[in-house]
Amino acid sequence: MKRIFGLALGILAAIGGFVDIGDIVFNTAAGATFGYGLLWVVVLGVGGIITYSEMCGRVAAVSKRPVFDAVRERMGLSTGLVALIAAQLVNLMTLAAEVGGIALVLQLLSGLPYRALIMLAVIALTVVIWVLPFSWIERVFGYCGLCLLVFAVGALKLHPDWGEVAKGFVPHVNTTSPLVYGYFAVGLLGAAMTPYEVYFYSSGAIEEGWSPKDLGLNKANAMIGYGLGGFLSFALMITAGALFLPLGINPELLGTVALGAEVPLGQIGLILALVGTLFAVGGAAIDTCFSGAYNLAQFLGWEWGKYRTNAGAPRFTITWLVLLALGFCIVMTGIDPVMLTEYAVIFSAVALPFTYIPILLTANDRTYMGRYVNGRVANTLGLFYMLVILFIAVTAIPLMVITHMGQG
Amino acid sequence: MSTSGELDVAYGILDHQIVDSENRRCGKVDDVELEGKVGEEMRVAALLVGVSAWRGRVPRPLAGLIARYFARQVVRVPWEVVKEVDSAVHLGQTAAELDLGRGDDRWQKRIARIPGSGF
Repeated sequence: MKRIFGLALGILAAIGGFVDIGDIVFNTAAGATFGYGLLWVVVLGVGGIITYSEMCGRVAAVSKRPVFDAVRERMGLSTGLVALIAAQLVNLMTLAAEVGGIALVLQLLSGLPYRALIMLAVIALTVVIWVLPFSWIERVFGYCGLCLLVFAVGALKLHPDWGEVAKGFVPHVNTTSPLVYGYFAVGLLGAAMTPYEVYFYSSGAIEEGWSPKDLGLNKANAMIGYGLGGFLSFALMITAGALFLPLGINPELLGTVALGAEVPLGQIGLILALVGTLFAVGGAAIDTCFSGAYNLAQFLGWEWGKYRTNAGAPRFTITWLVLLALGFCIVMTGIDPVMLTEYAVIFSAVALPFTYIPILLTANDRTYMGRYVNGRVANTLGLFYMLVILFIAVTAIPLMVITHMGQG
Repeated sequence: MSTSGELDVAYGILDHQIVDSENRRCGKVDDVELEGKVGEEMRVAALLVGVSAWRGRVPRPLAGLIARYFARQVVRVPWEVVKEVDSAVHLGQTAAELDLGRGDDRWQKRIARIPGSGF
């Protein structure tokens, strides 16, 4: 049992980070537009986030340094400050989108007015974060988010053409509309490696008190957690490819996505899909909210961490409260959460190198890491993904503009 | 820090986390004060802590903003107080003794009044 609970950090980081509102809609939209043709991109993205999560989890366990300590130490004050501002803006956009997402799911479940549900969502999040210890937040949101596995059952029941699915795992480029395909590919990679996942994961490792003897647990968390996130992405994309593509449906609404579970599995499928989405999106709201507070506290040297208690890390506590309040104000303007999260994914793609370069540098620093520095495999993968990240950072915004956010 | 007492200031301590003798995080090494003359060996005299200490290290427009909005005092921590340098800078005294972590102290009293704050 202890071992299962030990995986909670990776599962929440992955469920909340990998399958948040943006990914749920992005993966489904990709499946509805290109069928199974982008499955290989998800594999690439999962490899990237596993590589860098393992690295920053190891840095945290060995040197007790979370990501934003490394950012400031290795990028310098001025560049670090730019990275901080970029990270906080993207975090806030994502947080607002997730809060809106919770309200949308609650609306589908209850039929109550959207704005009242936003208020309910923020109050519920505040109480949950205030009262529950870190480990219980991980467990409740991570494991309840696993209801999303209903999409995997749904995908099987839809009997997709498995030959076509297998072809989707082979890297290729769609030649009929290469730019829209490129936009989706960059978006999926950006969403898979979105920086708040590693902010949360590395600080979470310190919250959990990991030490070098937990390095096996770190590896298991990164691989199983994000592997599971990738598996859910496959399920969403295959469901969309099998169900929405033949019907010509473009699922821009969260409710349409849930149909992917309702059509093959009936009402129970729909309810499980909505409950899973509720906890995954709620988990993502907590991930982004905490990430913002971790980043600011770490950059300025404040005391931080849920493990210090709310009053024990007062400015950290105030920061997450303020971020929740700001997220609430943004989403109350009526801005579309799905649109907001798509922007957040694309902008975070630009900010990716600021996050991942310091992690790679720190993981190679013997004075920090001693005998736990990156080995050949971690460095080969790290450098390969650094090239991928730089490519995404350069192409994300031009592709967004040229394709009108994937509309063609 | 090497055994010979040599220290790579920029790489080894600048911008690092400061932790007090009770393992409390209480600021960053925002700047350092050096002692010595041209041609002589330099020595770190003190760590400077506080956003105002950034003024000399960031682009000028930002330095102006900091001067305007963060006119608070910079806390000077004498090098003699530093007990150990690893990935953080560990001090041999408490934050309160050195006047560090005042922001957290101020807010702690307010947050502690709310039920469930852990205090």
